[in-house]
Amino acid sequence: MSAEPFKVWQCRTCGYIYDEEQGDPGEGLAPGTRWADIPAGWVCPLCGTPKSDFDMIEL
Amino acid sequence: MTISTDVANTIVDPKAYADGDRIDEAFAQLRREAPLAVAQPDGFDPFWVVTRHADILEVERQNELFHNGDRATVVTTIEADKKVREMMGGSPHLVRSLVQMDNPDHFAYRKITQGALLPQNLRALEARIREIARGFVDRMAEHGDRCDFARDVAFLYPLHVIMEVLGVPESDEPRMLKLTQELFGNADPDLNRTGKSVTDVGEGVDSIQSVVMDFMMYFNAITEDRRAKPRNDLATLIANGKINGEPMGHLEAMSYYIIAATAGHDTTSSTTAGALWALAENPDQFAKVKADPSLISGLIEESIRWVTPVKHFMRTATADAELAGQKIAKGDWMMLSYPSGNRDEAVFEDPFSFKVDRTPNKHVAFGYGAHICLGQHLARMEMRVLWEELFARLDRVELDGEPTRMVANFVCGPKSVPIRFKMH
Repeated sequence: MSAEPFKVWQCRTCGYIYDEEQGDPGEGLAPGTRWADIPAGWVCPLCGTPKSDFDMIEL
Repeated sequence: MTISTDVANTIVDPKAYADGDRIDEAFAQLRREAPLAVAQPDGFDPFWVVTRHADILEVERQNELFHNGDRATVVTTIEADKKVREMMGGSPHLVRSLVQMDNPDHFAYRKITQGALLPQNLRALEARIREIARGFVDRMAEHGDRCDFARDVAFLYPLHVIMEVLGVPESDEPRMLKLTQELFGNADPDLNRTGKSVTDVGEGVDSIQSVVMDFMMYFNAITEDRRAKPRNDLATLIANGKINGEPMGHLEAMSYYIIAATAGHDTTSSTTAGALWALAENPDQFAKVKADPSLISGLIEESIRWVTPVKHFMRTATADAELAGQKIAKGDWMMLSYPSGNRDEAVFEDPFSFKVDRTPNKHVAFGYGAHICLGQHLARMEMRVLWEELFARLDRVELDGEPTRMVANFVCGPKSVPIRFKMH
């Protein structure tokens, strides 16, 4: 398990939030799944925006 | 393939949406027999009807190939389109909001309010929204054991929330509700400005235009006020918003207020009313969510899918394209049917059943792609807070008469949901 703190990413189009700590089990992303481990072809589950158009945010 | 005139007429008929079953049957038939085909209802230009979930996503995803603003964004008769273009100097739109825009304008205008509507910024509003929700639950309890949940709660609660966010005083809320219902309920004699069935196209367009003008007069004053005295509200963001360093145009600013002051509550109201209607008809689902409040998020998604308050948007192809094996020509007009996508048997198991624990539930009621609903996070939060507050006190609910729906083919939902209930 990485000691790196979990980070949060947000879709620029719709505001969907991906929190590494919580993952998104409904999308097949288990809690703890790191952003870097999500495939490059993954898209925002709400609006289809590419992974490259997400920003890391502080909550 | 061309859709029969009967079915084509049904999918634009406001009364078919009020009926419910009639529109569901028409789209179910299309998904089976002609899921992507051309319709030409009487008096309309031909358009493609996109009925499948996957095809709706495919169109919405490609917002450069399928534009919003090139032709009318709502299905419109030839005569009404001609009249609007005469009135608007050739434009097919009476307003110019995010809905009628494409990039680069769409992106630039969306950014003006997007930050305020992001989940992390809405959190600051939750305590106040809960206070408002509690007030409506208290008012419902004061009704005793019967009320019209649509008129007494569902129409008023999201209205109050968005008007606070927008910065409209509470005393003007009845006026905003009336104008919204006159706009979206233009085909409904119970709601429209004329009080009668609109059969004359010119009269119908004039009626919508007069509602738009009333909105504009109201928000003109708000703009002046917020430019002089900025506040912490959405109206201030719109009044002072700049595009490429310049204040936004008058029509664009007025349209921005109008979309916030109408779609910002009417869709949530319809979904809220439709949710309680469905729970009253499905006591097992009510028992489930009462027993396990963690299902409230599932209830919200299922009720959004179930009601799908925005019935369609139109798109226009900007180039020749292929979709689901069909050739779409540049300039073709396309109807994205969200209720159909949300009943697509290929995506939703048993789509005509209301299930609070439906998983996954990837409905298209908020749209998809760049035009996805800007207020979706606020809508979800409002509904979550209301259901948390209401279910903590609501022991039983059943229908107390026949609910009715608005007569409309664009944005609509329940008009009346009479219920009998027990609260503690």
